[in-house]
Amino acid sequence: MEAKKITYSYVASLDVLESIREMLTQAGNDIGLSKRKTYQLTLAIDEIATNVIKYGYQEAGISDGFFDLIIEFKEGELIVSLEDTATPFNPIEHSLPTEEDLNIPLEERPIGGLGVMIARQSVDEFKYEFVNNKNRNIFIVKTN
Amino acid sequence: MNFTVTSEINNKVATLTLVGSLDSSSAFVFQEEIQKVAVQSPVEMVLRVSELSFMASAGLRMIVFAKQKLGSQVQIYMVSPQDQIIDTLQMTGFIHSVHIVDKYPE
Repeated sequence: MEAKKITYSYVASLDVLESIREMLTQAGNDIGLSKRKTYQLTLAIDEIATNVIKYGYQEAGISDGFFDLIIEFKEGELIVSLEDTATPFNPIEHSLPTEEDLNIPLEERPIGGLGVMIARQSVDEFKYEFVNNKNRNIFIVKTN
Repeated sequence: MNFTVTSEINNKVATLTLVGSLDSSSAFVFQEEIQKVAVQSPVEMVLRVSELSFMASAGLRMIVFAKQKLGSQVQIYMVSPQDQIIDTLQMTGFIHSVHIVDKYPE
């Protein structure tokens, strides 16, 4: 398959999550990605996009924020990059809950960290870069 | 797909039917419904989720909220979750704290 790159821009509002999921589901279907892998990629991006919108922009008092999703189809890989100009945040530095944490009864659990954990574990490879004053979260799924 | 939740209480069992996509923009709808049923102090909570097509961590946080609100002794059942949602429950360890069943009562 010839490399192909498409950029989608979104305003930083939770209302856009549904259209992102629809767009990614379509992209997954178009390249014949399994239903499970498509769902997991969609879930991973939903989690990080939620954090960017809520914490990167809204809680930081930035009302006109936006972010881009850049989709690249390469041989054997689907790569989605989420780029935003919010406060730098590296999810990889975020400690993941341990096996022990995951066995704590629900009512005693700390509430944070789940979204980042889900995002990092739902794709084949997860990377983070801070380039040109932008956060870039990169989600890579093997397509064959 | 929009998210909807409806609830009923029979014999102290709260049954909530969740349909659509439960994400950070819709989780508050689920939270309000949990608060509504909590007033009647149910002894069990049954979540009918066969038509729940998407659930993000915001949905998991609402399950934690339900446990905290209703009390740890209140058992939570999830009836017929889709495979992808079972994957998330597994990954996050929630599978140990809720009962996954094909039908309720079992």
